[in-house]
Amino acid sequence: MCARNSIYTTPKPCKHLADYKLRHGFNTYYSIRNCLKTTPNGRTRVAKHTTKIPRCSFCDRYQGRLYFCLMCSSLWCPTHILLHTQSEKGHEVAIDMNRSELYCCLCCDQVYDPDFDKVVVCNQVKDLPGGSKSKTNGFEACGEKSSKRKRLDFGIGLDLKKSKLLVSMRDRRAKSCYPLGLRGLNNLGSTCFMNSVLQALLHAPPLRNYFLNDRHNSIQCRKRSGEKLCLLCDIDAISSAMFSGDRTPYTPAHFLYSWWQHSSNLASYEEQDAHEFFISVLDGIHEMESKIRNSGKDDGDCQCIAHRAFSGLLRSDVTCISCGFTSTTYDPCVDISLNMDTSNLSSSNANKPIKPDEKTELRDSSKQLSIRRLPLVLCLHIKRVEHSLVRKISRKINQYMQFPFSLDMTPYLSSSIVRSKFGNRIFTFEYDNSNSSAAYEIFAVIAHSGMLESGHYVTYLRLKNQWYKCDDAWISEVDEGIVRASQCYMLFYVQKLLYNEAIEDSSFVHISPRRDPFDSTAGCS
Amino acid sequence: MKHSVNRPPTPDGAEDQGNEPILQEIIKIKLIESGEKERLMEMLRERLIECGWKDEMKALCRAYVKKKGRNNVTVDDLVHLITPKGRASVRDSVKAELLQRIRSFLTSAAL
Repeated sequence: MCARNSIYTTPKPCKHLADYKLRHGFNTYYSIRNCLKTTPNGRTRVAKHTTKIPRCSFCDRYQGRLYFCLMCSSLWCPTHILLHTQSEKGHEVAIDMNRSELYCCLCCDQVYDPDFDKVVVCNQVKDLPGGSKSKTNGFEACGEKSSKRKRLDFGIGLDLKKSKLLVSMRDRRAKSCYPLGLRGLNNLGSTCFMNSVLQALLHAPPLRNYFLNDRHNSIQCRKRSGEKLCLLCDIDAISSAMFSGDRTPYTPAHFLYSWWQHSSNLASYEEQDAHEFFISVLDGIHEMESKIRNSGKDDGDCQCIAHRAFSGLLRSDVTCISCGFTSTTYDPCVDISLNMDTSNLSSSNANKPIKPDEKTELRDSSKQLSIRRLPLVLCLHIKRVEHSLVRKISRKINQYMQFPFSLDMTPYLSSSIVRSKFGNRIFTFEYDNSNSSAAYEIFAVIAHSGMLESGHYVTYLRLKNQWYKCDDAWISEVDEGIVRASQCYMLFYVQKLLYNEAIEDSSFVHISPRRDPFDSTAGCS
Repeated sequence: MKHSVNRPPTPDGAEDQGNEPILQEIIKIKLIESGEKERLMEMLRERLIECGWKDEMKALCRAYVKKKGRNNVTVDDLVHLITPKGRASVRDSVKAELLQRIRSFLTSAAL
């Protein structure tokens, strides 16, 4: 297997192609530019003979693969192209007519040349109506514009040593059997939505480490801002409580109060939506940190812990079906919402949730979504609401949905999707070289049971490959089958590197609770 | 008389067989000339991706390359490998749709 760091490595040219390029350079590439024709779907064909049907010069067949000799523009089928190379010296390189890909007749195999691909793609982009605007987009896709590479700060995940010391000291008090950090939260009146999201957030590796490393110091915070209410201080307090070793259920009253101040429109004892709460908490954290740092950076560049952990960048390409013009926009996001396909009860792709790269028809255009930059923590929100226009009601979709524990996001990256749009091209994308890999591991699932108006949220946490159910104040060990069978509402994935780090952390001692099931404090069943 | 009277008559099959390939040829040429073949190919590509056929073929190729080693495989090898399996695993619905499109093309081209 090739090196894991770069997903696509440019293959080396064969001897014949290298010789050919030495002799002729780009001349022949440029000369066939006029013969390249682009179909609206993005494929490039070699179409020299617009009136005649292209046929093999030897056997006259016109079906299947045909190769176009770069030197003399003659056409050959795969069987007979060798004859041509043998009879004419120097005619070793040809192009597959239907795919615009290079073929070496002596190696009898496809070969790759980034320079050739650049010519093809630039031609494709030039062909699109819309002129210079789309050209810029195309060049961006070519990777010729070097934009700032966004480096996510991995520092927050790596400094566990300090937290280990803190935690192991308190470990002596712990009676319980479960990993540290697992603690029930009391329900303050329909606040299961809050408890479930808090459990997931506090165990997200970047946030967990942030608070354990005391990155938000409450004393300094109060001195600095003088404000009584700081959402981050409150989360810090909860985090300390969770990791204190005390297993009695904790009451996050102060946090609830702070959050009510922040989102006064949601301040009530009614059931709230967990996803809405999640967004509002991230927003609150962002606001708080912006105030502290006095910076109002937009989401893409923001260095607040919420955005550092959750922020990704979505790319949206809207293409007009009639004229082929594409406009590309980038939007930052903190999570991805997915629609449930109610008609698709059993499909071959049942082990994958429906991804946002489906093409949606919007009048005469089609929209292609892809992910330009992956976040550290990926939050997937499953929309379980179905609006019936006939009955004018909304109801919850109770269907079970399978989801993977390990997720590879490579096919949804912009680089993958843009690459496939232009056919089999060799590109160097400046964001291709993955410092952050596209492999994710799940660590939390928020499941909902019941109806739309009145239901109950629980969180399933995966710590060191063991699943735990966090149902308000009650924590219990569960089988992964239970998790899979739950009605998942929000899925939290973290990049595999951070997940593996968390597992290897040896300060967490895990003893099975089966030894003393009743000899534990309340909240640990 | 030198030839046998009992010789069976020349079967009609021979004549039909003589005509069919020519008709097929004409249809194919018409499809290409009118550009319909391109459109059909695009539609076919879409369907094959949708139903997961492309992924299946990709997986087959990957497995083969893994076995043989990346530098020991040519495009021709892969094509020969997956052509029979590929042809066999195309969904009937896709075939039916393609036939339907060709039929409607023929009626519209008034052949």
